[in-house]
Amino acid sequence: MAINIPELRQKFSNPGIAELDLIARYASLPEDERRGRMFDAFAETGLPGRRVEGWRWTDVEAAAARLDGTVAPVVVPALSQPHDATVFALSPTELETPEQLPDGILVHRRDVVPALAEAENIPMAALAGSLCQYKDNAASIVIEITAPLSAPVYVNWVGQSADTNFSRLAIVVRSGASLDLVESYCGGASLSSTLVELKLEDNADVRRSLFHAGDAHEIMTATALVELAANARFVQTILSLGSLLSRFETRIGHTGTGSNATLNAAYLCGADRHCDITTFVRHGAPSCVTRQMTKGAVLAGGRGVFQGKFLVPRTIGQFTDADMQHQALLLEKGAEVFAKPELEIYADDVECAHGNTSGALDDEQLFYMRQRGIPLSRARALLTEAFVSEALASASPAVRDALHDTAREFLSEMHG
Amino acid sequence: MPVMLELKDLIASVGDDEPKTILNGLSLNVPFGEVHAIMGPNGAGKSTLSYVLTGRHGYDVLSGKALLDGDDLLEMDPEARAAAGLFLSFQYPVEIPGVPVMTFVRTAMNAQRAVRGEPEISAPDFIKQARLVANELKLTPDMLMRPLNVGFSGGEKKRLEIFQMRMLEPRFAILDETDSGLDIDALRTVAEGVNVLRDEKRGMLVITHYQRLLDYIKPDKVHVLSAGRIITSGGPELALRLEKEGYDGIVGEAA
Repeated sequence: MAINIPELRQKFSNPGIAELDLIARYASLPEDERRGRMFDAFAETGLPGRRVEGWRWTDVEAAAARLDGTVAPVVVPALSQPHDATVFALSPTELETPEQLPDGILVHRRDVVPALAEAENIPMAALAGSLCQYKDNAASIVIEITAPLSAPVYVNWVGQSADTNFSRLAIVVRSGASLDLVESYCGGASLSSTLVELKLEDNADVRRSLFHAGDAHEIMTATALVELAANARFVQTILSLGSLLSRFETRIGHTGTGSNATLNAAYLCGADRHCDITTFVRHGAPSCVTRQMTKGAVLAGGRGVFQGKFLVPRTIGQFTDADMQHQALLLEKGAEVFAKPELEIYADDVECAHGNTSGALDDEQLFYMRQRGIPLSRARALLTEAFVSEALASASPAVRDALHDTAREFLSEMHG
Repeated sequence: MPVMLELKDLIASVGDDEPKTILNGLSLNVPFGEVHAIMGPNGAGKSTLSYVLTGRHGYDVLSGKALLDGDDLLEMDPEARAAAGLFLSFQYPVEIPGVPVMTFVRTAMNAQRAVRGEPEISAPDFIKQARLVANELKLTPDMLMRPLNVGFSGGEKKRLEIFQMRMLEPRFAILDETDSGLDIDALRTVAEGVNVLRDEKRGMLVITHYQRLLDYIKPDKVHVLSAGRIITSGGPELALRLEKEGYDGIVGEAA
């Protein structure tokens, strides 16, 4: 039975041009029940915007309507690859893998479209899931890590058309295995949505370091769904320079006792750049730890968004230890930062805290530095770099310096 | 000796919203090679003077002159004044989180050199000099790797001010209550650090409440500042008299 486009359209309320394109694209893919359920979930909101909870400040719908599709986004230089890394390039049609995979890494191509739990809560991830289709009928790609790896794994999310990119990747880290995962998002598509599903088995250890930079004609959302079994350790570090609209959404499920998550991010937004860091952490097992630090610095015409939520259910969330911090610097007049930290706690024996501040650089510090002869612009850059570097300290040693350098370069170009 | 720092009829106010006149016709000359002390009661305008000279925002000069070796300080940005050789040892040194002492000082040093058209100091030369000076000031190498002033005690911060002064080798230094918060041993260490820089090409203004510091940094002249002007000046013996009689006597006598 062929997919009926008019019927699909009816599932959307008043679809825009971008959504009509997505409907046509969906209709061109092989029909699949699970794919259909994801697309239905996406159809409930369409491209999310103002009216959708959690997307109030990151209005994909409005940005897509504003985008002039004739301007192809520029591909920004990707984060340089660590010399000893195992490199994967993930395009919307294929995962390019090294000819010989090191021990401990297996790649599986499957013809089954995997289901997506709670797809209705993550419309852009549902979109990625429903429109992702690799060549040779591969509907999903799974990277399996079976041992502690000695070298980092580098995944380059490559844009392939100026139009749209939708990719989905699953990574399973087996019990006791470890992975140093570096990802670069410098796509170049007008609209892209990526979905990473990471599963850490008991005692697995993953350090995930992400870099993103895009231009002023690019909407990108990157969703990660992370499941942590008992005593798993997960450390994530993001550096984003934003794009027309960008969002990193990370959803963590602590599902086994004693798992540990660190979620750090730094966003640096210049003019016409929007960067959204959204996280949701569910403490679904006792004695789990979450540490979260997000730092932002925004220039005139830039916009930063932070949304963080910890959910601690009544019985299973007992002995949770969780801390969420967001600190933003508004470096110039006309910079904008929106923040919504949330704790939802039902268990009674937990330690949970959050903090949220935003403000300007300290005049007293600036004067002190200038008195020593440091020009104002340099003083501002130094203070801002020091401010955000705390959030980058957790990045993989393989790329930590490169991330710091990128931040420094960005800041050295800002005005005095 | 010719005049190095020349202040003439300085009138300055503090505050953006409701400006308050703090310096009220202050005149003072410090010749090359001399160290002058400024003493005075609380609220006399001592710290205001140091901020006016270094160009802090919110300290507005309404009239008067401030020249350093003939150059008009009041026309310059704070960083330009620093490059011209003006240094302030802060009464309350500011914490600079995330910027290690070594990075900070080297950045400052090279920024000043760039303005003066001098080449940058090489990393090995810088490290060598920093170790030498730190050792004299009883600062450990570990302290130089830590963020500037963060988690340092009051005395350590003052020693770090002098460390920066020694590294930057300013032509004219203002020490704003550098003695506050120092015990006797630290006071001696700091004073020795300061005295190393005394020579015929430099000048200093030492602002203090107490005579004690002047036992270690012997001034050529002492000025008493009250209500925003110099009301009396004299030799080192004036500081001793102040210590004995208090400000009330001398301020009253001059008025």
